[in-house]
Amino acid sequence: MMLSMDKKMNTSEHAITEYAAGNLSPAKHAVVACQSEICEEVSSRVAFQEQIAASMIEQVQTKALSPLFMGNVLANLPLQDAPSSDTNSKNNAPETLKHLLGCGLDKIKWKSLIPGVAVHDVLGDRHNKTGDRLYLLKAKGGMQMPNHGHNGEEWTLILKGSYNVGDKSFARGDLHIEDEDEIHSPHINEGEDCICLVMTQGPLKMQSLVPRLLQPLIGI
Amino acid sequence: MTFGNEAVIIDNMSNNESKSYSDTSRASPKSLSAAKRDAQWLYSISNNQDARALSDLFEIYGPKLKGWLMARGEGSGTSEDIVQDVMIKVWTKAGSFDPVKASFATWVYRMTRNRWIDHKRKHGRMDVRDPDLMKIIADDEVQSAEVNFMAQQNSDILREQISRLTKAQQMAIRMAFMEFKTHKEISEETGLPLGTVKTRIRSAIQALKANMAKHIGQMQ
Repeated sequence: MMLSMDKKMNTSEHAITEYAAGNLSPAKHAVVACQSEICEEVSSRVAFQEQIAASMIEQVQTKALSPLFMGNVLANLPLQDAPSSDTNSKNNAPETLKHLLGCGLDKIKWKSLIPGVAVHDVLGDRHNKTGDRLYLLKAKGGMQMPNHGHNGEEWTLILKGSYNVGDKSFARGDLHIEDEDEIHSPHINEGEDCICLVMTQGPLKMQSLVPRLLQPLIGI
Repeated sequence: MTFGNEAVIIDNMSNNESKSYSDTSRASPKSLSAAKRDAQWLYSISNNQDARALSDLFEIYGPKLKGWLMARGEGSGTSEDIVQDVMIKVWTKAGSFDPVKASFATWVYRMTRNRWIDHKRKHGRMDVRDPDLMKIIADDEVQSAEVNFMAQQNSDILREQISRLTKAQQMAIRMAFMEFKTHKEISEETGLPLGTVKTRIRSAIQALKANMAKHIGQMQ
């Protein structure tokens, strides 16, 4: 439907503007930073808007640095890094994420949530009632995620694997933004596990989820 | 309080354009030479470990970056700590600066913004908001400022292209990049519907992008 297409474009465009301007929460900022590392199309849109943001700095009143600032910094300069070779090959974790995790995707300790689904907290606590939080979610290829809704927005950046929601499909580099009140049930595509970086606001609406999860376990 | 100052800046921009221009414009009026100058300093930093070049760069950019951080509500001390971290990062990472990908102004802006978001993440502090500032911005009577851009390659073109936008579009660009608020907050504080805020900002950026593309031929 035209309307929903438009809506999708809007959402990602304003996320990019707010990212460039530095107006996103740390959790959302991390999601867009990671996306721009692994999606070229987004990276060039971000670069354009950062150029605007950088040029707007000229309109802010300058503030003189304190007299000792320059001397202090210059007296304590560390060794320079060797020029970095671009080692961020396909399927690697974005540098922004590694910075937050303190390690790569292969080193993290997953916590099993339900059979086939594991999570790892990145920022904040998933059980908190307020605030944006960020976590990694890993789901087994071929599985149908339980139907769920949320109390705020849900931003899902796909890092590995792919899934479908209705007739829309999402793969590495795609950012899937769901607004409040939308209920969905992603289907993870067969083959490799799907790893996503997820930002949610407020707890997932588990009411309908819990009975569904229990069904296969207790055999009813 | 910092936001008091910011209101003054906005006021200056609308009423005393030439003053704010001459106050902050320290770089050469020739944009090409400023971009080249920055690139040469970066080259000298990475190839000759030239601390003098680093200090020259931050004589120019340090006060701008500190001003931006303080306009965002940070205190002088915290702002200088962040500028110091950025300055050290410019020193250590100078070898990976690529003038083809971005100007130094954009590169250092991105570093500063990210370092600041990192700071907010670690300190989890709430933003200071000033509703009065938003009223000033939302007021249609505010004249759009003569835009004072960083002297670098694309900024002159950007400036020219922004000045060719309609007044409303110029306002929208300022709203997006100078208000330091999310679109939702702008909507709440101005009383404009969220959809209107998003559409206005998005269409202004798209118009600017289209003009730039026409002008440069290959601008993404």
